[in-house]
Amino acid sequence: MKIARYNRRNFVKLSLTGMGSILLLPRCAQPQSKWRFFSDNEAKTIEAITEQIIPADEDAGAKEANVINFIDKQLVGYYKNHQEIYRKAVVGVNETSTIMFNKEFIQLTWEAQTSVLKTLESGEAPGDTWKIISSSGFFNLIRDHSMQGFYGSPRHGGNKNYVSYKMLNLDYPYYLGRNKYNLNT
Amino acid sequence: MANKHVNVVVIGAGAGGGIVAKELSVAGLSVILFERGKWQTFFDHDNDELISQRSFPLKCAYGPDNERYWRVVQSGIDSWRIAYPNEWPYGNNAACVGGGTLSYGAMAWRFMPEDFTLRSTYGHVEGSTIEDWPLTYEDLEPYYERAEYEIGVSGDEGSNVFGPPRKKPFPMPAFSLNKEGEILEKAALSLGYHPFPIPMLRNSVSYGGRPACIRMRTCVGFACPVNAKCGTQNTVLPIALKTGNCELRTESKVSEILLDDTGRARGIKYFDKNDKQQTQTSDIVVLCCSATETARLLLNSKSKLFPNGAGNSNGWVGHNLQDHTYCGAEGLFEDEVYDDVGPGACIAIKDFVHNNPGIIGGAMLANEFIRMPYLYANDRPPGAPSWGIEHKQFQKNYFKKNISVKGPVQEMPVFENMVEIDPKVKDYWGIPVLRVSGYRHENNFIAGRYVAEKAETWLKKAGAKVTWQTIPGQYAGASQHQAGTCRMGNDPKTSVTNRYGQLHEVDNIFVADGSLHVTNGGFNPALTIMALAYWVSDYINDQWKGSKFK
Amino acid sequence: MVILLLSFLSLGGVYVYWNNSSPAKTCYSCHEIQHSYTSWSASAHRELHCISCHGTALSSGFHSLKEKSRMVMSHFLKNYPEDIRLNEQQVVTMTERCKTCHQQEYAQWLSSGHSLSYADVFLNEKQNSKEQLNEDCLRCHGMFYEGNIASLVEPVSVIGPWKLLSENHFVMPVIPCLSCHSNHIQGYPKISPEYNAPDKVFYNKPDPYSKIGIFNRQEKKFILVDYLPQPKIFAGKRQVNTSQDPVVRNCKQCHAPNVWHQSGSSDDRTPTGVHEGISCMACHEKHSNNSKRSCKSCHPAISNCGLDVTTMNTSYASPESKNNIHFVSCESCHADKFMN
Repeated sequence: MKIARYNRRNFVKLSLTGMGSILLLPRCAQPQSKWRFFSDNEAKTIEAITEQIIPADEDAGAKEANVINFIDKQLVGYYKNHQEIYRKAVVGVNETSTIMFNKEFIQLTWEAQTSVLKTLESGEAPGDTWKIISSSGFFNLIRDHSMQGFYGSPRHGGNKNYVSYKMLNLDYPYYLGRNKYNLNT
Repeated sequence: MANKHVNVVVIGAGAGGGIVAKELSVAGLSVILFERGKWQTFFDHDNDELISQRSFPLKCAYGPDNERYWRVVQSGIDSWRIAYPNEWPYGNNAACVGGGTLSYGAMAWRFMPEDFTLRSTYGHVEGSTIEDWPLTYEDLEPYYERAEYEIGVSGDEGSNVFGPPRKKPFPMPAFSLNKEGEILEKAALSLGYHPFPIPMLRNSVSYGGRPACIRMRTCVGFACPVNAKCGTQNTVLPIALKTGNCELRTESKVSEILLDDTGRARGIKYFDKNDKQQTQTSDIVVLCCSATETARLLLNSKSKLFPNGAGNSNGWVGHNLQDHTYCGAEGLFEDEVYDDVGPGACIAIKDFVHNNPGIIGGAMLANEFIRMPYLYANDRPPGAPSWGIEHKQFQKNYFKKNISVKGPVQEMPVFENMVEIDPKVKDYWGIPVLRVSGYRHENNFIAGRYVAEKAETWLKKAGAKVTWQTIPGQYAGASQHQAGTCRMGNDPKTSVTNRYGQLHEVDNIFVADGSLHVTNGGFNPALTIMALAYWVSDYINDQWKGSKFK
Repeated sequence: MVILLLSFLSLGGVYVYWNNSSPAKTCYSCHEIQHSYTSWSASAHRELHCISCHGTALSSGFHSLKEKSRMVMSHFLKNYPEDIRLNEQQVVTMTERCKTCHQQEYAQWLSSGHSLSYADVFLNEKQNSKEQLNEDCLRCHGMFYEGNIASLVEPVSVIGPWKLLSENHFVMPVIPCLSCHSNHIQGYPKISPEYNAPDKVFYNKPDPYSKIGIFNRQEKKFILVDYLPQPKIFAGKRQVNTSQDPVVRNCKQCHAPNVWHQSGSSDDRTPTGVHEGISCMACHEKHSNNSKRSCKSCHPAISNCGLDVTTMNTSYASPESKNNIHFVSCESCHADKFMN
């Protein structure tokens, strides 16, 4: 954001506010959730879904690649328009898992989680939320976002420490020399 | 303060616009080149796969932004929805200085002689407005040569026997083949095909003062960090600006062409950098905004004489929208075929462009540019799981063991495939937006399946253990190869411009981009657009000497 | 008037308190900086207060005050920045602060090729007239530069004369300390001699955690050697035996081969011949890159010739020699003995 030119009065006001606000610090120091958009519980659910989409085997999975960070970051950025669908979907996923297995999504076993997601993918998932938004629409969205977060550039929040490039044996950061005319000249 | 009157207004600093601006300003005319985007380079998004012009989930790297641009596209029978630039149905081409040429794959194809005489070659096709161009390959050959030498093309005929005939050799030697290119070359020769290196608008050696390509893995969809990719922004545009006759106005969005009572253009209206509306008068207006946007500008420029848009009394502006129906095949190999040598696409065959028995048209077949991980994650054989552990293992196992061979199948122009002005939706500046609609002609798929099978045969011969064909969907598209919306023709009843890109009805409005293409060949159209830009510029310069378009 | 005086005094009081108390009480209280604080407290510089490297709110005069106010405003407007990074000027200022303790390393760096300034690199006529300036230059020679090449040098063409568009950059080093070093990575402090307390011991053991890395311009991140790719280099079709020393990965990021990874191509100097498999650091001193004294560490103990290697016909002895020290092999001089 641009700062307008300050005249002296504003400058004094600003620095006083700045200094004074420091007194409020102890309260500031504890933010509510460590995520930008998700609550801690929502983040756990989304993280579990991304791990299902890209599971860990001998190579890292979505959890280790921090795909949840990618999704959270984009939801307050380029994907602002998907905020509502994610909020509703977390509720919906838990509704479905409760109907199917009597537990919340993060408490299910691996296989149970997979079957919940497969149901979502089919578009026939039970749950009130899925009457308002399409379950297969949401599933396709989070699937695509997980792929982006896992295989995309780390600058967007995911692919922590280039785990996906390492898995694919792709040199990254790439190293390429310049067009050298001749080593001896 | 009103803008000073100039001779020419060129709209769109892309493949066509850059060349027209240079040719006219070198000839001494005063030119203002309008571009809605800005100067961009590799620095802006370097090799970020999620923000490129090839995959753009977050946003288009050099294309229009989502905040101010949108279109209406079909979403079923008689139903429409809004599409943003970072969705494929929008049909995007870049919006920056250089246009698509900043970040394109830079394949430099000449159309074949038959592509200019498609109707004479194949006859009438039911449901299509197939027609000959009002000029032949021989007319355009010297202009292809000019484009090749001035912008910079590297290539070699190799074992290609299909032509088209050329007078001068390629200005630069061809790119060497990478590992998959060598595998494909051997297989093609043993099948009796005629493989050769793809001609590229890219420096294989130092040319035009710029370095040679360093063979990076990210090319198509990305700008070049060493400026080895030849576009109009690093070749002709600097020359135009140096003459002192050409002014480049970036971030300027042209909203309409101003027409006077006698039905001639007298200038344009545009929104400047600060979104303030301004007027610029000129003697001539040249439209180079890409097939969709040129048509949009004409359709939005109404007057008493032209209630349906400038030059649109016959209702043909915006119709016959074409791009290419990309068909081909992909194959999985047992051993690694990937060697990280870019740009990836390096070998092609023209054996199936024409003279396919019982088939109208065809396509050249070439291997694909290197697919980065996210793009590859969405590339699976039919029926393969799209998520989960198998999907991940597929990615790990086959990322370096796959080859893709595709071809831009020549489309049969269909009148109903079109862009029109949406009756309700307006963009950020209040300019009515486009509505894109239509269905690809059945013949595209007949020819497409034919070449896809040939591609599959090729891959199998190369040693692929698993192969499958890829055929796209039915919706007519725009996207990077968009063409045909203001076609050239000798008959004013069934065309928009004459053979020189001059509107039949308005003698001082010209078009010099892909909109002119009567048919769009079985090749990437960039070099043809460039050749036509030189062709149109020569005509304008000739005519200028006489009447000065007064 | 009184209010102004009172506020000035209290401001001054707060300022002094702030800069002298432990960062745990002050800097740490802004959650945006907590990550940096946590990593610093596990790093080799944990004994140093933040201000010794980062300066105080007034170190750079009005500019830093403006910056700090902007930070406070961002905090309240909930406009949290994603990556808190130093700008280029701050990186260069940091280099000067490193000097206060690391005088020897600084001096060595200054004598090496890595201390070139923007003027040295971008106004070099021989280079500029052979290959046009482009964005990729900045990947190695200007990784912290905040702009594209056209905003740095004019004209972007092989025909000069060239000039830098920013006066500041004329003497600024293109490869400052932070190109390879990050102070916030895990490490142990070395305990230096305290002459006033001779019972404090001077440890000189190698720090097992001391790692370097490279600042990657594209990702705008410092990447430890652990995460850099291990280079695969070839001589023709044969894969060259490259050293497993992690530091080599760092060097290779800039001293890189062409796309076919051929030894000796482009900027690559991966040794083949008699020196194959040896790490860059075996010969090149860390900061000065000087290799003149290095032969003694191996020769004549490890040498098949028993001759004084410093006088043999290689580029070590004379720059005119055709036998580049990186690639010289027995065959270079004794081809006849190898012909079968």
